[in-house]
Amino acid sequence: MRQRLQPLARDLGRILMALSGVVFASVVVSLAWGELFAVPALVVSGLVPLGLGRLLSTRYDDDGEVGKLHGMMIAASGWFLVAVFGTLPFVLVAWTVAVDPFPAPFAAPAAFDTPTLAAFRDPLNGFFESMSGFTGTGLTMTDDEGVLPHTIQWWRTITEWVGGVGVIVLTTAILARPGSGSLTLYESEARSEKIHPSVVSTVRTIWWIFILFTFLAISILWLAGMPPWDAINHAMTGLSTGGFSVTDASIGEYNDPVIDFAMIPVMILGSIAFPIHYLMLRGDLKNLYTDPQTRWLWGYFSLGSIALVGLLWLDGTFEAGRVAVTNGVVLTGSTASLFQTVRYGLFQFVSAASCTGFGTIGIGDWSAPAQLTMSGAMVLGAAAGSTVGGIKLIRLITLVKGTAFSIRGVFYPESAVRYLKLDDRKLGETEVSRELEEASIIAFLWFVFLAVGLAVLLLTIDGSFTLENAVFEITSAQGNVGLSSGITGPAMPTPAKVMFLFNMWIGRLEIIPVLVLLRGLLDTFNVYR
Amino acid sequence: MDLRNIPLVGFVLEFGAQDYFLDGMLLAGPLVVLAMIVGGRSPVTTAIVGLYVLSFAGYVVYNGVVAR
Repeated sequence: MRQRLQPLARDLGRILMALSGVVFASVVVSLAWGELFAVPALVVSGLVPLGLGRLLSTRYDDDGEVGKLHGMMIAASGWFLVAVFGTLPFVLVAWTVAVDPFPAPFAAPAAFDTPTLAAFRDPLNGFFESMSGFTGTGLTMTDDEGVLPHTIQWWRTITEWVGGVGVIVLTTAILARPGSGSLTLYESEARSEKIHPSVVSTVRTIWWIFILFTFLAISILWLAGMPPWDAINHAMTGLSTGGFSVTDASIGEYNDPVIDFAMIPVMILGSIAFPIHYLMLRGDLKNLYTDPQTRWLWGYFSLGSIALVGLLWLDGTFEAGRVAVTNGVVLTGSTASLFQTVRYGLFQFVSAASCTGFGTIGIGDWSAPAQLTMSGAMVLGAAAGSTVGGIKLIRLITLVKGTAFSIRGVFYPESAVRYLKLDDRKLGETEVSRELEEASIIAFLWFVFLAVGLAVLLLTIDGSFTLENAVFEITSAQGNVGLSSGITGPAMPTPAKVMFLFNMWIGRLEIIPVLVLLRGLLDTFNVYR
Repeated sequence: MDLRNIPLVGFVLEFGAQDYFLDGMLLAGPLVVLAMIVGGRSPVTTAIVGLYVLSFAGYVVYNGVVAR
């Protein structure tokens, strides 16, 4: 192995060992639910990454520190490898149920031998589910999540939860770059005390905030009426804006407006930058409106929801005759239609813009403008430094303000000293150019890879799906959202699955680290020199 | 008795929020979840879980508005 890849191998080894810890911890769930047949599969799934991880981390233990380039390569390759090894529980549990090799009490109940679980016997489907989980996407190869063993339901949930923490750490501590809206935004003189300076300290801070919010989200959903198991899983996947569910129809399974509205603040919590959560928990509540990303987030979520509700209302999508709201409150006629339109429009826009992907109703038959409004939300995403996908609001802010700054510059003499005010920072022309360049590159690459994915999708899917269905699906995959117009599933063509795997991966890492990894590997092995 | 000598409590106090109330919320979280699982949906468990959520919201507002 080349010299420069050795620190990479060491850190990947450590990541794999951490993954094995998550797998072993999941055995508790199997034991709690009496699913002993899943225990051997989980133990093997943990031993494989543990063995490889230990080998790599001990063999290259003394191979120096890593720089920012290595940080990017570790993030990109780490996410990929974790998704690869995260495939094992899906595949091994599915095959354990199919073959049923163990005597009682480890025998697999026949009730679990369903077509939904059988889909994971195909490693590509397992890899898709694992990548979808760890990237917080939520697109799934399952037909009915409700019939899956609790062990697999939990494994889907924990992949999204761990992936959610991972992406916050990635954007706030490891890959802070100009335009990424992380340390650039929060490390100005006035705020330097507000997020811990070291990576290790930042990671600890993120963990306790994330765990505390998870308990709160579980409590809120349980109070709204969800059963405990559902509340635990949906709180974890909602906060991490992943969107995997333990029910067949996602949140729509409950058909309960109270649960719908209770889920919205959970998704919004996951959409706000965690450094801002940290500041607010320290008593600095004014960040709710003084932080530019958070301020734009309120405006964007509000306007987008109003737009979607308006479109649905004009389309007459919900002609409800009678709706039971809660505690005997029943609405009828146009009041019922308006309530349903607001309920579903608000939920689905927040779900799309926060890149969560929970569904309360089928959206495949919504009008093209309504679907494209949601596609736009999925491309943009919410705040950098949170668990969301998409291009991120900070880049929109940078592009809008930076473009206006550049245009205004035409009217000033060359000798003029100008600054762009962004929050409490004053950026000089060089800094503005740097951030504008970064935001433009990411936005450009985002659309390039969307176009590539769309082309592959259109060439492979059957003709029953419309163009807006395909646009919706690919923006959902790359934005790590998980809402589906019905294209994604076990029957999806293999080239489309492979393309979606790539789109989900680059979407989570905001493209550049993946390109750096590929370039670094080609360079290391002298492929094109 | 020093709370820091209790294994899990000591860990949370050292690596948690560095704030006794939020550390307490972190430690109480698993117990609240356990209460909803074991106790089912009853007035007592609803009150416990509701108190957990309300006390967090109250603390954030108090810390941000009153204590500043």
